[in-house]
Amino acid sequence: MSRKPYVRQMSKTSWFLTHSRYKHYILHEVTCIFIAIYAVILIFGLFRLGQGPEAWQGWLDGLRSPLGVIFQILAFGFAMIHTWSWFKVVPQAMRIQRGESFVPGNLIIGAHYGVLAIISLFVLILAGVA
Amino acid sequence: MARSSKAIPWLLFAGGGTVTAFILPVMILITGLFALFGVFSGALSYETMQAFVGNWLIKIILFGILFLTLWHAAHRLRVVAHDFGIRADTGVAIVVYGLAAVGTVATVIALLSV
Repeated sequence: MSRKPYVRQMSKTSWFLTHSRYKHYILHEVTCIFIAIYAVILIFGLFRLGQGPEAWQGWLDGLRSPLGVIFQILAFGFAMIHTWSWFKVVPQAMRIQRGESFVPGNLIIGAHYGVLAIISLFVLILAGVA
Repeated sequence: MARSSKAIPWLLFAGGGTVTAFILPVMILITGLFALFGVFSGALSYETMQAFVGNWLIKIILFGILFLTLWHAAHRLRVVAHDFGIRADTGVAIVVYGLAAVGTVATVIALLSV
């Protein structure tokens, strides 16, 4: 018995361009590439910190190099996309019931942005400028 | 119902996704603004960072952030590989989780060296 199941033709590298929903999906999925590289840079920085002042200065110089600046601008953009897309689906993942009804999704998302602001402000104050 | 071992990567993915959503923007803002305009140069000086990371509570917090970030990114990279047509999922899983494990060990060694 030979069947020829229908296989929809799809480009492996550009399928997500065919629908805006796919574009949004791939946009938040690829944030992990920038997040992973940034984590590796931070771990490398911790190593340099342990190796002494010159090594640490070399790491800081790397951050300030054209490549370092361009990467961090991109990384900041993708980190914000990750935050936005992550908070957006929290109401689906976390249903909070109050009495008969559920807490509205926008309230949960808003609370997350509030906590984001508090944490960001705290870290900025910790770093000396706010 | 069949028992699944997917709960562990999923927990790390979700935990890491939450932690990175809250903390990474401000961290990149600090290192990025330093790189662009020299702001926060005092906070990122060798002496200040040495004292900061020398604190055990900070070490534990930094480990928590980096550990979860690595495993979050690893799990999502596995999905991204699948999305771009790489169907050798077991191989991909070994590579990405292996890299996350190496990164976790490296984080511990780096933190203990400060």
